[in-house]
Amino acid sequence: MPGEPRPVFLNLLQIRLPVAGVMSIAHRAAGVLLFLALPFAIALLALALSDQEGFAQVQVLSQQPLMQGGLLLLLWALAHHFLAGIRYLLIDIHLGVQAPWYRQTAWAVLAAAPVLALLLLWGLS
Amino acid sequence: MSRHLSGFRAWMWQRASAVYLAGFFIYVLAYLIAAPPVDHQALKGWVGNPGMWLATALFFLFLLLHAWIGVRDVILDYIKPAGLRLGMLAAVFVFVLICGLWVLSILMGVL
Amino acid sequence: MEFQIYRFNPDVDQEPRMQSFAVEVERGMMLRDVLLEIKSRDESFAFRHSCGEGVCGSDGVNVNGRNQLACITPVSDYENGPVVIRPLPGRPVTRDLVVDMSDFYHQYHAVDPWLKRKDPVPEQENLQTPEQRARLDGLWECILCGCCSTSCPSFWWNPQKFLGPQALLSSWRFLADSRDQAEDERLDALDGPYKVFRCHTIMNCVDACPKHLNPTRAIGHIRNLMLKKSV
Repeated sequence: MPGEPRPVFLNLLQIRLPVAGVMSIAHRAAGVLLFLALPFAIALLALALSDQEGFAQVQVLSQQPLMQGGLLLLLWALAHHFLAGIRYLLIDIHLGVQAPWYRQTAWAVLAAAPVLALLLLWGLS
Repeated sequence: MSRHLSGFRAWMWQRASAVYLAGFFIYVLAYLIAAPPVDHQALKGWVGNPGMWLATALFFLFLLLHAWIGVRDVILDYIKPAGLRLGMLAAVFVFVLICGLWVLSILMGVL
Repeated sequence: MEFQIYRFNPDVDQEPRMQSFAVEVERGMMLRDVLLEIKSRDESFAFRHSCGEGVCGSDGVNVNGRNQLACITPVSDYENGPVVIRPLPGRPVTRDLVVDMSDFYHQYHAVDPWLKRKDPVPEQENLQTPEQRARLDGLWECILCGCCSTSCPSFWWNPQKFLGPQALLSSWRFLADSRDQAEDERLDALDGPYKVFRCHTIMNCVDACPKHLNPTRAIGHIRNLMLKKSV
């Protein structure tokens, strides 16, 4: 029967997401990623705390290319989630909630997160 | 209404835990840059120190609380069928609980 | 200039389609003028509009992915085209650019958008200081166009449980009004994980509002008031 059900325009590829929205969905994706990585992170902590052999194993493991890649991804997720989280906490107390600051801080978070991630990787290696 | 999950309390605990997590993260980062533990002895000594042990235990407690509230929000947003929703919330809750008990056993081994 | 317009006739179409129109654009033309020109060529084309000056809130549409009011959006904002005009996102399409706003209006009514008094009405004016009146600025100007709520992902996913930016801004408009005497009642009605707390501070609403209002800030005020009253 024509006309039913009524169509809805909700093609996400055709709807423009402003910069704050991009930062927001990335914050959620980063959170989910970190959540899924939690058991691996805890396992690494357990290994490092077990004995000297375990500690050394973690050191060696973290130098491997695949692990470095995974580590960079998780550090990016952590950096983004952390910086975006700070921005949200500030918005909660009405800092940066108005234009143009909410857009400027969103850009800043998006830009700073990968930089912070690289710094963290370099620092922890 | 009492039949609903909380809204305000979850939001508040997520913010409060975030503040602690951020603070702890910055502290750990600063420490690892200034004086990174070089071997197992150093790491165990650092985490085993009573103040640090307590702070670490609190970190994981707040981390799991923060993660639970966050993932719950994702499920409440996207998952509509009530059965699937309940199932996923329960699964995540159990996952978080297991992680918590695991971390507890690790920390007990350091005391 | 080329304009691609979303078309859907429920009596005839199974699926919506895009229809292209070439319209001669003149200086000072607004998108509503383009839509009216298209209507003069095709009587069956349907879209809502009224005041033509951005105060009635009737002609909210999605243009090149962004929600706008057609009557105050200059065509000159779009240099070459094509300009793609679609209905407000997330709402069932009644016909062409006309959408069903029922959920949106329902949520507005759900916040009891009128002053509630416990004391008897004063004999003369219900006075406010300039400072008290100033608290309503940025709130009373809402024209219920729907650009904000239809740009909000949380409202897309839960339009019947989440109040949405417009209704929440309206709720704060009354919570902030010194003449209103139903603060506890209003806050109790905002209970639960859905009404307020599907807002994740995405802030699409602030970008979308054609009156430059800030629903995120209003929602922040509501949450802070809840915090204040909880301790």
